[in-house]
Amino acid sequence: MTALTYAAPHVVATRRRRIAPFKVLSRALIILIVAVQVYPLLWLFMTSLRTETDYTEGNPFALPSALTLENYARAFRVGNLGRNIVNSLVVTLGANVLIVALGMMAAYAITVLGFRFSGVVRALFLLGIVVPVQIALVPLFIDYASVNLLDTYQSMIIPLAAFALPMSVYLFGSFFGYVPREAYEAASLDGAGPYRIFFGITLPLSINTIVTVVLVNSIFIWNDFIFANTFVLSDGLKTIPLGLQNYIGAMGKVDWTATFAAVCVTITPLLLVFLVLNRAVIQGIESGATKG
Amino acid sequence: MLPRRSRLSVLVFLVPPLAVYGIAVLFPILQSLFLSFFQWDGTTAPKAIGVANYARMLGGDSVFWHAFGNNLLYVAISIVIQIGSALIVANLLLTLTRGHAVVKTLYLLPAVISTVAIAFLFQRIYSVQPEGLLNQLLQAVGLGHLQQPWLSNISTVLTAVSIPEGWRFTGLYMLILHAAFLAVPAELEEAARLDGASRWQVFRLIRFPYIRPVWITTLIMAMTYDLRGFDIPYLLTNGGPGQSSELLTTYMYKTAFTSTDYGYASAISVFIVVECLVAVGLIFLVLRRRDQS
Repeated sequence: MTALTYAAPHVVATRRRRIAPFKVLSRALIILIVAVQVYPLLWLFMTSLRTETDYTEGNPFALPSALTLENYARAFRVGNLGRNIVNSLVVTLGANVLIVALGMMAAYAITVLGFRFSGVVRALFLLGIVVPVQIALVPLFIDYASVNLLDTYQSMIIPLAAFALPMSVYLFGSFFGYVPREAYEAASLDGAGPYRIFFGITLPLSINTIVTVVLVNSIFIWNDFIFANTFVLSDGLKTIPLGLQNYIGAMGKVDWTATFAAVCVTITPLLLVFLVLNRAVIQGIESGATKG
Repeated sequence: MLPRRSRLSVLVFLVPPLAVYGIAVLFPILQSLFLSFFQWDGTTAPKAIGVANYARMLGGDSVFWHAFGNNLLYVAISIVIQIGSALIVANLLLTLTRGHAVVKTLYLLPAVISTVAIAFLFQRIYSVQPEGLLNQLLQAVGLGHLQQPWLSNISTVLTAVSIPEGWRFTGLYMLILHAAFLAVPAELEEAARLDGASRWQVFRLIRFPYIRPVWITTLIMAMTYDLRGFDIPYLLTNGGPGQSSELLTTYMYKTAFTSTDYGYASAISVFIVVECLVAVGLIFLVLRRRDQS
């Protein structure tokens, strides 16, 4: 009897000991890797709440000795942060409208309507996925200069939308492929033409795909540096990524705490959307890639 | 194919997207190709010089080849970080019973941050005066003698500018790989376990081969994104010190917009496109050969 009561916990214990090290180890590793991913961002946020002297004279990686919001006030006062945010909103909105509308139209023509060279056109769009944006910089700069488009919102919106179009066409196209043919045929028998089917059937069904396309693209557009840096010259049109470089004071010294405050402000909208719709983003990425 | 479609309706849907795509993507490719046979500074009349730009690029320009080598190393380091840690975390996540969503979200977080912010961040991490995070960590674990100015030491700078690129997008690839691993049938793994396969064998012989199409996609994505990497090196070091972290993209950008040598810059950008296409082609070629053997 005593032997039995002793034996039972012993068995449990050994089994646990056999499995536990792996679990503990893998959990520790996950935490470590996630910490590497997140700590720099946490540090960035903490720095934005530090006083300037605490940052420059103390240890910038220790906990702040006092918290202040003065950096945020300075970020708005010194830089052109408000203007930058408005500009980024305009560009992000404009490009997204184009990406969704044009992406859906192209996918609809290729997948649903169909035409003789639809395969060729599809391939032409898909090719765009591997084309690096750098190829367009010099030609667009020259073209914009000749039609007076340099230094406008359009100069950023057009290439941002065009380079995102291949992925958008691909995502909408693969979604449209899942819509049962019978839905279209039934509508067609009822006398609906291609336009009514587009607005009556395809568009309402595509809401989820639209959300995914907009979310993923917004991240890239909101953060775009290369097109803005190449095509925009005047301060009034600078988007956030360019505006963040404005916090350089006398003698070329960077005002780090104000810069990081500005970074925090400009990340926030994207971060909020991302956290609220995070399931949609994650599912979008997962399905987009695994279907391919 | 819809029965009641007209030729006009196809054009109505197809022409606007093709026009925008043509203006900003397809036409510039042709234009770059065309410009690459000229010498042009943007103000005086362009001069046709045949293949001289290509001859200079492939034949005599040591900076070009140096940048090309740097680019390969940049891509290699970024891919190892991205796919490597993505594979590890995607696998470890399978052993976790709860908290998947939290780990995924936190892990993806850096992908939301702009490259400008990331450049600022890493400039601080690598800095010497005031002592940056990396140098402090080295000091703390007793490797103080390794402390150095990571971004101005010519032997560390290239690695230093590659790491942020890897760090930033690994979450994206982890999500994709994790979703693929979840689709591996549990029966398959259980059967192997019952036959006495170790965790490593299950991964190497079942899980990894099963998601082959997905990791090929991931590899191609990472490869083409990293080949066009520009922002972070440009912002962190602008290719310096000297030319030690110069990539083809930063070299092309400077040639175009600092030296305003549009012809030569176009030749370099044509090379970058060819490089991306060759990279994708090579991946397919290697995989097909392995399929046949």
